[in-house]
Amino acid sequence: MLPMALMNGLVMGVIYALAALGVSLVVGIMNVINFAHGEFYILAGYFSYLFADTLGLNPILSMSLAVGMVFLFGIVIEYTIIRPTYGNHMYSLILTFILSIVLQNAYLLIFGPYPKKPPGWVKGATNIFGDFCYGNQRLAALAAGTVLIVAVFLLIKKTWFGRMIRAASQDREMAELNGVNTALLNTFSFGLGCALAAAAGVVLAPVFPVTPTSGVPVALTAFVVVVLGGMGSMWGCVIGGLILGLVENLGAAFISTGYKHLFGFIILIVVLAVKPSGLFGSRET
Amino acid sequence: MKNPKVKLLFLLFTSAVILAVGPAWANTVKVGVVGPRTGGAAATGQAFDEGIKLAINYINNKGGVLGKKLEVVFEDTAGAPDKAASGFERLVTRDKVVMVVGESHSSAALAEIEVANRMKVPFIVAEAWADPITAKNYEYVFRAGPSNSGVVNETIAKWVAHAGFKKAYIVAENSDWGLGIAELTEKALIALGVKYEKLTTERKSQDHYTELTKIKEFAPEVILAYVYGDGLHFFVAQAGELKVSPRAVILDGAGPPSLWPDFWKNVGEYGNLETFVSSMHEKVELTPLAAEFRTMYEKEFGKSPTDYKSRSIFDAILIAADAVKRAGCTDADSLVKALKKTELEGTRGIIKFGTTPGGPEYHQWMPPMLIIQWQDRNQVVIYPPKAATGTLKR
Repeated sequence: MLPMALMNGLVMGVIYALAALGVSLVVGIMNVINFAHGEFYILAGYFSYLFADTLGLNPILSMSLAVGMVFLFGIVIEYTIIRPTYGNHMYSLILTFILSIVLQNAYLLIFGPYPKKPPGWVKGATNIFGDFCYGNQRLAALAAGTVLIVAVFLLIKKTWFGRMIRAASQDREMAELNGVNTALLNTFSFGLGCALAAAAGVVLAPVFPVTPTSGVPVALTAFVVVVLGGMGSMWGCVIGGLILGLVENLGAAFISTGYKHLFGFIILIVVLAVKPSGLFGSRET
Repeated sequence: MKNPKVKLLFLLFTSAVILAVGPAWANTVKVGVVGPRTGGAAATGQAFDEGIKLAINYINNKGGVLGKKLEVVFEDTAGAPDKAASGFERLVTRDKVVMVVGESHSSAALAEIEVANRMKVPFIVAEAWADPITAKNYEYVFRAGPSNSGVVNETIAKWVAHAGFKKAYIVAENSDWGLGIAELTEKALIALGVKYEKLTTERKSQDHYTELTKIKEFAPEVILAYVYGDGLHFFVAQAGELKVSPRAVILDGAGPPSLWPDFWKNVGEYGNLETFVSSMHEKVELTPLAAEFRTMYEKEFGKSPTDYKSRSIFDAILIAADAVKRAGCTDADSLVKALKKTELEGTRGIIKFGTTPGGPEYHQWMPPMLIIQWQDRNQVVIYPPKAATGTLKR
């Protein structure tokens, strides 16, 4: 039981971290909480399904197209809905909440209520160390999720764009004085945040088929991870995601499967009680 | 009336009079439907919409009720008890429906029966299975569909005994339906002397690996899965990946998710040999009306009916219309009296409500249920023996 719980906790943790990175990025740079984050995840799952299943395109191409389209959609949303709310966090919060409901209903209308699953990349299961079987698609999701997280870290830490993002998240005014176009940066960062949600969506949709409302728990988990790890902290997302994945699975394995998500919230409360800014968050001055 | 205030008062008074006597002038008889059009069980809303459309056409093409057309007003409950209660109340106060039918979430139905009882409005539950819905013996509440005790005692437990299973695992989602039916199953398995274990899973859980690892350690012959919606697809697919099935036969204790259009895409070949409970079979019709329903359905929607909940709501609306006709009026107490005397052919049998108070059988009609197994993507009835078209494959 323990090896399986650890393995599954690791896989779920990586996926949680990937989904939370987009939220963290948008919070860190724009101070905007995107309530529709889960709906972008679902949209990518639907696009991936449409391209691969309905149009018969190559799964990798379908996934890339899906992420690209969600990135563009994110840019449009930032330009039309988020940008006019700058300076008032409550407006952006309410607008993204409304966007989330509108998108859920649009998905229901367009794709129907039944779960949709893009074709898997691999089939079957692998016997891990002769101890337990584990789905190959999940192992592939673990690998893809890890590669994507590393790519995001390289983008943020090693590129010119990443340097701008870090500068703007540390001191927006100083970044502007140094020539950073923060309005454009916001647009791209929001698009990137949505693309990260989309990346998690296309990786996970072959494991967990998407439905119009299945983005809600994804967004909720992403918010828990971001708060657990510390608002705006990239490392916090990764460590927070892994902790959440492991705690949920160990709790389900050794205490009760009926309260899997409760264990995550208990850990969140404990961490916030001890360190209110989250594991890697910096205290506001 | 030159004074604008007097004009306004006159306008308000006229509007109030029209609203008050409006229903008497109306040339339709309104029946309310409650059910989830959104949320995790929106698929049921789609099945309900299909059944409603056919029922309205069927009844109105035969002259309607009391010389008027039948009209249906749908309230989306999204499976949430608070929305369900307020939606029910809106149907009665705003839409002036004479009766309410529908619902498929037990937790929502349990909230609705309180409103029905308080407002004294007849309510026919179609597909919410929890026993307390009728066990409370409310005078205005009826159920023309399965109950947890009926499904367990009349079908599932008898099938377990018939198939000779010695070890079973009960998996239940943490909803009113899931927990209720699991408790009844537990009692039935104890009575049968079947060795069993039980676990609860979260209603919206997508990942069942931990649950399935526990199940695998117990090595059951049958898994009685009370998990509704897409959760069932996840469960079946993941059970296949972990090689829990087909070593153990999975029974989908709800039914419709195993018949949803994307079932095979979502579960792949792991769906083979899965079994499910159903009140219909793709090729067998229980009554002449069921055959007529299939013809109407295929003509209207250009596909074959799969989700049996479209038949449940069709039957519920037929029962409501029949009661109004026999009562000769829309008075609630007269409708209840008429409902108690219902004897009507539906798509799932002859509908007749129980009249002995004291248990969940009061005001309850239990449709006959089948246990069907997917064998090479064909539906094979494996229980009850008199309806069987094949035998259980393992």
